[in-house]
Amino acid sequence: MTFLPTFSIKISMNIFWLMMMLSSTLVLLVTNPSEMLNEMIGAGADALELCIELCAVYVVWLGFIELVDASGLSKKLAKLLRPLIRKIFKINNEETEKIIALNISANMLGVGNAATPMGIRAMQALDDKSGRANFAMIMLLVINATSIQLLPTTVIGLRSNAGSANPADIILPTLIVTFTTTILGIILCHTIEHFRRKIKGGKRK
Amino acid sequence: MSAYILPVLFLLLIIYCIFKRINTYDSFVKGAKGAIKLVVDIFPFIASILIAVTLLRVSGITTFLTQILSPIFNFLGIPPELTELVLLRPFTGSGSYALLEDVLTTYGADSYISRCACVIMGCSETIFYVATVYFSQTKVKKLLYAIPVALLCSIVGTILACLLCRVM
Repeated sequence: MTFLPTFSIKISMNIFWLMMMLSSTLVLLVTNPSEMLNEMIGAGADALELCIELCAVYVVWLGFIELVDASGLSKKLAKLLRPLIRKIFKINNEETEKIIALNISANMLGVGNAATPMGIRAMQALDDKSGRANFAMIMLLVINATSIQLLPTTVIGLRSNAGSANPADIILPTLIVTFTTTILGIILCHTIEHFRRKIKGGKRK
Repeated sequence: MSAYILPVLFLLLIIYCIFKRINTYDSFVKGAKGAIKLVVDIFPFIASILIAVTLLRVSGITTFLTQILSPIFNFLGIPPELTELVLLRPFTGSGSYALLEDVLTTYGADSYISRCACVIMGCSETIFYVATVYFSQTKVKKLLYAIPVALLCSIVGTILACLLCRVM
């Protein structure tokens, strides 16, 4: 691993959270110590509000997704996307492939909130309990992070509200960027994984 | 036009379910059951990240970072007016949409800056939020290279978005 030090950096949410909290607490200690607790509780209230909203969204989407599942459509969808999913994620498990197919389809339709429950389920199915993210999990996160949506409906809505003459003229650039970054993400993950395997293989010898 | 997509898909789904003789009500209820449990499970994760992001904003660190990063972003072809949006996008969805609305009203919906902001929003995600929530129900503690790769793609996307908006 000494050859490629960047790959040995273990990024965890713990580090990010700690850095964010430590730096802002230090600054607030000097600038505005009295407001800190209030702000934190306010953020908690925001989170609660968001969760109630999300609950309303999930109740609709999980209901519809169950219909998709019960009618056998999800199986058909998975079958359609299977060759692609197997190649990209390097997995071979029909149930997991089905969940990933639903997650990606929801993303493409631009309903990120419907994709979330499927993403959580897929991560659970992919978890090998080793405490480290495996290749398929990383790939799923990267694909979700590069937002593969076909129609940026929310943005178009906001733009037309703001009085745009042609709110949809951002669709083409958005599509180009989305596809480029998703493909870049897939290639990067496969390249890094390839090198990691090589290094591991070299170590064993 | 895009307003029709989801209703039409729902209609097709319901017709398909009738055709397949599925008890739609029973199935819908069965799926909907999972909603509250899911939200209860992810609430602490959402709250923790929102608390950290709020403190980061209140403490003025984001403003400070915006000032530092503006010249670098400008060098990469990203308008300095969008630094804060680009910076906050990986952390908060609602926060970055509020910033987008600001940009749209301040600079006009059809200005170069607004179009850049729209494309950036359309092709990026709240990476840290998605990472926290997606991994929340697993045993995973180490994400390895997931976040660096996601962030890198996001930056490349942002630069490409600003470039494309110049010519398209």
